[in-house]
Amino acid sequence: MAETETDIPKMKPRPIVRLGLFLMSHSLLASIVCCSAGVLALLLLPVLAKNTYISENALMPGSANPMLSNQDIVQANKLAEDLSDLDFKSAETAGIQRRRLIAQYISNLGAEASYHKFHPPMNRFHPLHFFATPDSEMIEGSTNCSIYGVNMVGIIRAPRGDGKEAIVLVTPYNFGRSSQGETLSLSIAFSVFSLLTRVTWLAKDIIWLVADAQFGEYPPVAAWLRDYHTPAFGSFGTLGAEMCCKTYNIYELEQDSIEQRNLTDGLKRAGTMAAALVINVADKNEPFEDSLGMYVEASNGQMPNLDLINIVNYLAVHRQGLRVKVEKFWSLLGSKWLKILGEVFESLGEVAKSLNPQWKFGIPAADYVEGTATLVSSLYYQALGIPTGAHGAFRDFQVDAITLEISPRVSSTNKGRRNEFLLRGGRLIEGVIRSVNNLLEKFHQSFFLYLLTSPSKFVSVGVYMIPFALLVAPLPLVAASLYADGNSKNLSPQNGKSTSSTTVAADELGITFRSWKWLNAARKVFVVHVWGAIVSLLPYFISQIPDCSPEYRFGIWVIFSLLVLLILYFILGFQLPLAQVSRYEKGEWAILKSVTISAVFIGLCLMSVINFATAEIGALLMVPTCLLACPLKLDTEACNLKSVTRMVTNLVLVTLSFPPVAFFVLKGVVEGHDGSNVGDFWIWVESLWAWNSATYLYMGMVHLPCWVLCLHVLLHSC
Amino acid sequence: MQSSFSKMTAFLLAILVLGSTLLCNSTAYGTHSSSPETTMHTNNWAVLVCTSRFWFNYRHMANTLSLYRTVKRLGIPDERIILMLADDMACNARNKYPAQVFNNENHRLNLYGDNVEVDYRGYEVTVENFLRVLTGRHATAVPRSKQLLSDEGSHILLYMTGHGGDEFLKFQDSEELQSHDLADAVKQMKEKRRFKELLIMVDTCQAATLFNQLHSPGVLAIGSSMKGENSYSHHLDPDIGVSVVDRFTYYTLAFFEKLNMYNNASLSSLFSSYNPNTLMSTAYYRTDLYQRQLEEVPVTNFFGSVMETIHTDSAYRVVSRKKYGEVETIMLSEESLHHDERSLMNLSVRDQVGNTESSFGDIWSLFYHKVEKIEDADTLVNYGLLAMLPVLAVFTWLSS
Repeated sequence: MAETETDIPKMKPRPIVRLGLFLMSHSLLASIVCCSAGVLALLLLPVLAKNTYISENALMPGSANPMLSNQDIVQANKLAEDLSDLDFKSAETAGIQRRRLIAQYISNLGAEASYHKFHPPMNRFHPLHFFATPDSEMIEGSTNCSIYGVNMVGIIRAPRGDGKEAIVLVTPYNFGRSSQGETLSLSIAFSVFSLLTRVTWLAKDIIWLVADAQFGEYPPVAAWLRDYHTPAFGSFGTLGAEMCCKTYNIYELEQDSIEQRNLTDGLKRAGTMAAALVINVADKNEPFEDSLGMYVEASNGQMPNLDLINIVNYLAVHRQGLRVKVEKFWSLLGSKWLKILGEVFESLGEVAKSLNPQWKFGIPAADYVEGTATLVSSLYYQALGIPTGAHGAFRDFQVDAITLEISPRVSSTNKGRRNEFLLRGGRLIEGVIRSVNNLLEKFHQSFFLYLLTSPSKFVSVGVYMIPFALLVAPLPLVAASLYADGNSKNLSPQNGKSTSSTTVAADELGITFRSWKWLNAARKVFVVHVWGAIVSLLPYFISQIPDCSPEYRFGIWVIFSLLVLLILYFILGFQLPLAQVSRYEKGEWAILKSVTISAVFIGLCLMSVINFATAEIGALLMVPTCLLACPLKLDTEACNLKSVTRMVTNLVLVTLSFPPVAFFVLKGVVEGHDGSNVGDFWIWVESLWAWNSATYLYMGMVHLPCWVLCLHVLLHSC
Repeated sequence: MQSSFSKMTAFLLAILVLGSTLLCNSTAYGTHSSSPETTMHTNNWAVLVCTSRFWFNYRHMANTLSLYRTVKRLGIPDERIILMLADDMACNARNKYPAQVFNNENHRLNLYGDNVEVDYRGYEVTVENFLRVLTGRHATAVPRSKQLLSDEGSHILLYMTGHGGDEFLKFQDSEELQSHDLADAVKQMKEKRRFKELLIMVDTCQAATLFNQLHSPGVLAIGSSMKGENSYSHHLDPDIGVSVVDRFTYYTLAFFEKLNMYNNASLSSLFSSYNPNTLMSTAYYRTDLYQRQLEEVPVTNFFGSVMETIHTDSAYRVVSRKKYGEVETIMLSEESLHHDERSLMNLSVRDQVGNTESSFGDIWSLFYHKVEKIEDADTLVNYGLLAMLPVLAVFTWLSS
């Protein structure tokens, strides 16, 4: 400091430069402060969560009385009975008959009914499909013609609406073998649908999609959405139908043409979708009361507008008296240290309140634990980048969608009880539809970037960015200071020598080489990143191998990865011996670490734009590892308490930040340690690339190479 | 001596000029006089503005339509009401009752009945059009039915409702009317003699702030809330699913429902009927620009059109306000008189059959006819000035 003060009168660099230099010279302290502040801020998020509020004035949820009556429920029950009566031997015949029945019911209500045929997508690794538009999948065209599903679509045209907007209701239903829950959800949707054909206040069209759930919930919805948004010119409604000219016997079975006059084979469309609700009734029963689960995360951590969640939550809690829950990590609820932390925050809040009653800080410890469990789950599912339900398909088309999983209390065999349940569920859906119907524009008022800590509390982007910013802030500082140190360390012996004209020239040459020394490190980092890219492409080939268990595939993947690493090591060579460079071998690891940290910084910042939650978790794992990385050899040589501690911490961090280890540790924390094997990781990774999750790219291209580089620094022979 | 002389001269000159001006007015304008005290209240106009649109602002349109109905019931005819309305509620697809608008959840009264004449509809409701209506600066093609054809004897009711804030009122979520704009428009109106008295009634959040810049005499302003206060809706219709009326307007209407057009309830009784507890805001009224005592002014002076009809022996002439004490007056509603005739005359004084005549009236009419005969007003003035010169000379001579 004394030196800089004396320098000031001479040059007086800009304040920002001085601040940078100051932070660089104290990078160790700065990084410790920033990292611990980042982790602390992350732990504080549940405390900082705000209550949700309805931001859009036009929505007015719950301002109208529900109109759904028992008569609609009776209708819906009749449909459910008729469906269950159609019990054929073959699932296929039953499916056809049931579709016909539903189509007939829809037509009788005066709505338009149509079929939508689709082919389930193959679960394949498409290296080019990350960030690609969903409809490019159809170009592959390698669908199996004998496997197809048929969705049922019913459309109510708003009597006085302009027909430019629509609200979508989705009920997954397995036409062949339907479960109790699916029948109930169908009943709820039908009761609402039949009501909506009679009301006079519709401003948006209503689309009811009975998705053929035999291939899961997501693919039929995704296929329908893709066809809905792909205008096809020609006689056939869908691209898929053109490829397979197989006769489809639903249409041949039609006999009563008058009754089915509304039924067409072309894909019927309504306007752009304002919102979509996926209705599920859980097969499991709740012990105490009817409850509602909300699933909101779509691909790559995208969320629907918070207002949609708010209106559902508001109507469920304040109008229908349902218990609303969002996903949380139940195992965290019992954790001791969270509880202690919560108590600490609570007492801190009380202290703050006693100082100034204006400070509303601190929440009860139980709320804190619950909020953290929900927050972690919210963060995890966003980071995973895999949609948590059929609503994810809508988000790809910028439609706000949410899955409502309604769970009835105890057994629903009691008829009166079941009717009450249907009435509640139906009124909830009706209320949400009426509220969305009031909407004049797309959802835009409320947040799109947020984390939920409870159904009625959220952390907005402005708050949850702080921990990430604090975590990554020391990276450029440490990189810069390491680079500066790495250069100056080698300069210091020369400074002591007497300077003659010849040595000056040699020095200048040396300085030139030294200042370009980082290129050598950058080359290494680049090679490792290339390796990372190759590793992330390997599953494409491995998945082609037929009849192979996940364990074997994982093993093959690991072996190939190591092989490629070795090949690259020998071909491009880490130690490209340059005479001049080898002299400065001492600082080499520092320069390498500096470049690695820069790469991590760039990677994390890029990822935070694509999927913030991934970047957040990645930063939590990677930043301490990178910052602490130091050759083990130095520590073993020093052999004092500090170096031993550092060595142990380094080893633990490096182990933890290895993706498979991180996965198994997380899995152990969340689900318990029973029966997890190596194959699970492969299955998990497979699900990532099957859903085109950017997290997979992050793992392969940023996390893994940086982990290898950290390992390289640790094992460096200096 | 010299100074007293000059003072005297100045005084005389002043009298001279004043006298000639008065004469000039009485001849050139014939029936008009510049000072409001001497102008008679001749007619009533109402400008009713709903400044918001979109379904969730249903209540603002219901407010305006309710007031429209009230002033019509109290006697202001449609041709003297300028109704500015986004008008997107009655036929909104979200309206459960197509082509009907209610201001109460009991649905007894459909405000959107048969004779609703909306003058400015939909996107025509802009700040520009509003100011044009007030100041009367229209494009040539604007029909008379869309103009505020008031005169210096007019009482104008200006009612506005919508979303507002500190010294502004939003127009359809795209423009703002500021308190300066309003004050400027009112000032222009005053200068163009477009009103005698103006009552501005505003139902919006922080309505009182909108009156801050007003400084034209004859303006009375009442707002639903003070600065920093919100104006709230009265109740929600769970059938339609929106709030249907605002509190301030609701209680205003409740006051008027008890009245008919012959009622003599005063403005002060209206203003004191607002209870801050039921309103959930403090009604604010500004009276410093208004000359008359509120206790003496019947509400029908603004919200109705109840004229004092003066009998005269012949049509198309005027009596000075001070004189009509001797004349028998009949309270008559204008609507009943002119309902079919659609008269656009500024003066609405009509003869009645079978009334007694007064001698003063005869003398006055004689004088009036004489004055009427003088065609060249300027010549008269010039002669008058010339005639003053000898008088001036005499007085100068006397005083010296």
